[in-house]
Amino acid sequence: MESKNIVVAVPAFNEATTIGQVLRGIPPRIDGIPVTTVVVDDGSTDTTAEVAAGCGAYVIRHLTNLGVGAATQTCFRAAQMLDADIVVTIDADGQHDPAEIERLVDCLIDGRFDVVIGSRLLDPQGMPLLRVLANLLLNAVTFVVYGKIVSDSQSGFKAFSRSAVDCMELRSAGYEICSEIVGEIYRKKLSYKSLPVKAVYTTYSYAKGQHFLNGIHLILGLFIRWVRRV
Amino acid sequence: MFWLLPKILAVFLAVIVISRSYIDFRARVESLQLFVFWTITWTVIVVLALFPAVIDFTISYFGRGVGVGTLLGMGVVLLFFLVYRIYTKLERVDQMLTKTIREMALREPWNTTK
Repeated sequence: MESKNIVVAVPAFNEATTIGQVLRGIPPRIDGIPVTTVVVDDGSTDTTAEVAAGCGAYVIRHLTNLGVGAATQTCFRAAQMLDADIVVTIDADGQHDPAEIERLVDCLIDGRFDVVIGSRLLDPQGMPLLRVLANLLLNAVTFVVYGKIVSDSQSGFKAFSRSAVDCMELRSAGYEICSEIVGEIYRKKLSYKSLPVKAVYTTYSYAKGQHFLNGIHLILGLFIRWVRRV
Repeated sequence: MFWLLPKILAVFLAVIVISRSYIDFRARVESLQLFVFWTITWTVIVVLALFPAVIDFTISYFGRGVGVGTLLGMGVVLLFFLVYRIYTKLERVDQMLTKTIREMALREPWNTTK
């Protein structure tokens, strides 16, 4: 596959503390292919947009907070407008190491896979036990709703081929987006690979990540989707 | 005195709902069908609250097959259906709003220092 453009897209909401570090860690080129960085500021009330623009990223601002799912969909739309061949999504809270983007992209460049999921659970070292258990539970819920089991259904660190981005039909505005993407991989018969990635859990990223109530909300959202499907 | 409470409440709520619906209808925010629907629904609720004997009459009219339980069951099913309809409409509106905000965001200049 001859790639000409890689877009790294970062959905962000009130991440002024960490987004600069994440953006500075993104490699400017991968295997000689230029990398364009896009930040979708999901109605932040802090200086997320200013910090991101200062780091040289394109910044797209939602007027109000729509949710991580809506921001991720905006990331995909922006990547299509930039005519990206490969799209990488990464969390803005610093829980992923941007240096690992290259490993994800390498799996796509030769066209073997449509989607690569950066899986924190294949090597959960450093991940709090409660997080591991919560993510395993969400893997099970994702399987019940979408019929597909993957090692880390809730990972925000993924790489997509352009054809995968074009064919996915996403609707979720909230955290359910990760499970919905797994569902689309299954529904559209996309080839995928789970690649172990490091999870960098700091006090900040732990506090910013999905907490218990978000988990309940997510399961409820997935349950409603399941009810509507049957 | 306590037995009057549901009657007063029903009339009070009916006045609020029907007047609000009428104002929205006059302002062309609400359709005629919806206004008529709310008016009939709340008129029925007020009649049942003021004259509960209507329920006894209905039960005796339809015979032994229909009891208070059946009517309550039908009411619950109807309410669940309405909640479902409201939920799906709300989701549709939510998606339209999301789409609008996304399109607006994408049409604005993408700020960068590059």
